[in-house]
Amino acid sequence: MKWLELLTVAGATLTAAVTVVVLYSLGVRLTAIAADVQQTSPGIKRSLAYICFGLCSLAVLFGLYLIIPYFSG
Amino acid sequence: MVALVIALALFFDFTNGFHDTANAMATPIATGAIKPKTAVTLAAILNLVGAFLSTEVAKTVSGGIIREGSDGIQITPDIIFAGLMGAILWNMITWLKGLPSSSSHALFGGLIGAAIAGIGFNSINLEGLMQKVILPAIFAPLIAGIVAYICTRLAYALTSRHDPETGSKLTQKRGGFRSGQIFTSSLVALAHGTNDAQKTMGIITLVLIAAGTQEAGSGPQFWVIAACAFAIAIGTYAGGWRIIRTMGAGLTEVKPAQGFAAETSTASAILASSHLGFALSTTQVASGSVIGSGMGRKGTSVRWSMVGKIALGWLFTLPAAGIVGALTALLVKTGVVGVLIAAVAGTAAVLFMFFYSRKSAVGHHNAIEVEEAGQAVRFAKKKAMARARAHAKAKAQAEADADANNQKETQR
Repeated sequence: MKWLELLTVAGATLTAAVTVVVLYSLGVRLTAIAADVQQTSPGIKRSLAYICFGLCSLAVLFGLYLIIPYFSG
Repeated sequence: MVALVIALALFFDFTNGFHDTANAMATPIATGAIKPKTAVTLAAILNLVGAFLSTEVAKTVSGGIIREGSDGIQITPDIIFAGLMGAILWNMITWLKGLPSSSSHALFGGLIGAAIAGIGFNSINLEGLMQKVILPAIFAPLIAGIVAYICTRLAYALTSRHDPETGSKLTQKRGGFRSGQIFTSSLVALAHGTNDAQKTMGIITLVLIAAGTQEAGSGPQFWVIAACAFAIAIGTYAGGWRIIRTMGAGLTEVKPAQGFAAETSTASAILASSHLGFALSTTQVASGSVIGSGMGRKGTSVRWSMVGKIALGWLFTLPAAGIVGALTALLVKTGVVGVLIAAVAGTAAVLFMFFYSRKSAVGHHNAIEVEEAGQAVRFAKKKAMARARAHAKAKAQAEADADANNQKETQR
């Protein structure tokens, strides 16, 4: 039924948005930490931040992959 | 007649792109994340791409709302012509008046009105209408708003930095969200293409079906998709320049982190709904997100009177466009002369409104939809924060209750 589809939309929206926002926010946070003066190992934090950004873009691309009919057949 | 309707439909698509660029690109221009010219070009290109991505919504429009084909009542190009006339006129009027409205609902309203006046009440697929248009119209902005609220809370919680010993606030360094907005707003533009360009495709397909050149129940043909994609992209590009002037005045006061959360929610909500074939209004979803993210940030309060005004605009769109559509349908029914009168009167009205808008000073006319939602969210100044906080707490409680109630309703 349509209620189920509405719930699907709600769930998909929530999952997708939260994933992207959390990953990106973590990236921003880690970048900020890495830029701190008293930080002992900025390199690791910075690369962690890049990993977060990378995962975030992967999540977006995966979402698009799910939607585009060309890929899902 | 068919050619005329297709031209009209493409023009509607153009006005749609024209009307809705603000949804995608308003916030990044406002926060200075992206240059206006680049933003508009990017939005146009992504609208173009998005239009090619999915055709689910087009199928909804062409197959779900008005019964076509052998089992239903034969719908004629005349009816669609009348419906489009209603949609375009209402779109232009609201654009001129700066009223918040949805292009999509104008389109549905016009079509429904025309079908009722031209054929009769039984031509409307009520179940399809409820399920694919009315319900998503109510719930999509709600869903987007709630998700945006949660996301804004998360974004701020994750990036708030306090000194572990003294507990005092450190520099927050949330600048990263500014560049992030370039991507999220691009996603919104893409999502806009997947939903709004589809509506025109659906209309043209409906005309082709009505004219008997295409089988009932089939999807849009490739040239239709391409034409619609280009029409909306050109509209986006043309409409962007007005928004730049509006944004120059700094209408929206949305922080990058907020904008990021709001746009992510908008894009996910629209893309998810497009995928299931829900024809919803991008404008309404974006407004819902902006309001939701406004509530999620501390020190902001929501101007409920403005929200009420927006909601009223939404309520009026369907019937108002329906009445225009119905009147045009009655006129068209009288024959070729009626069609001519409708076409000439419609073109004259559109031209008049266009020149009228040119003459008057650029200002609140351009401040459409999402900016209004932005205005609905008021940002307290630092000094007034403490005062606002106590006030906001009481409000937040009330909102939480309202949200809980809404969620209960959703679950039902």
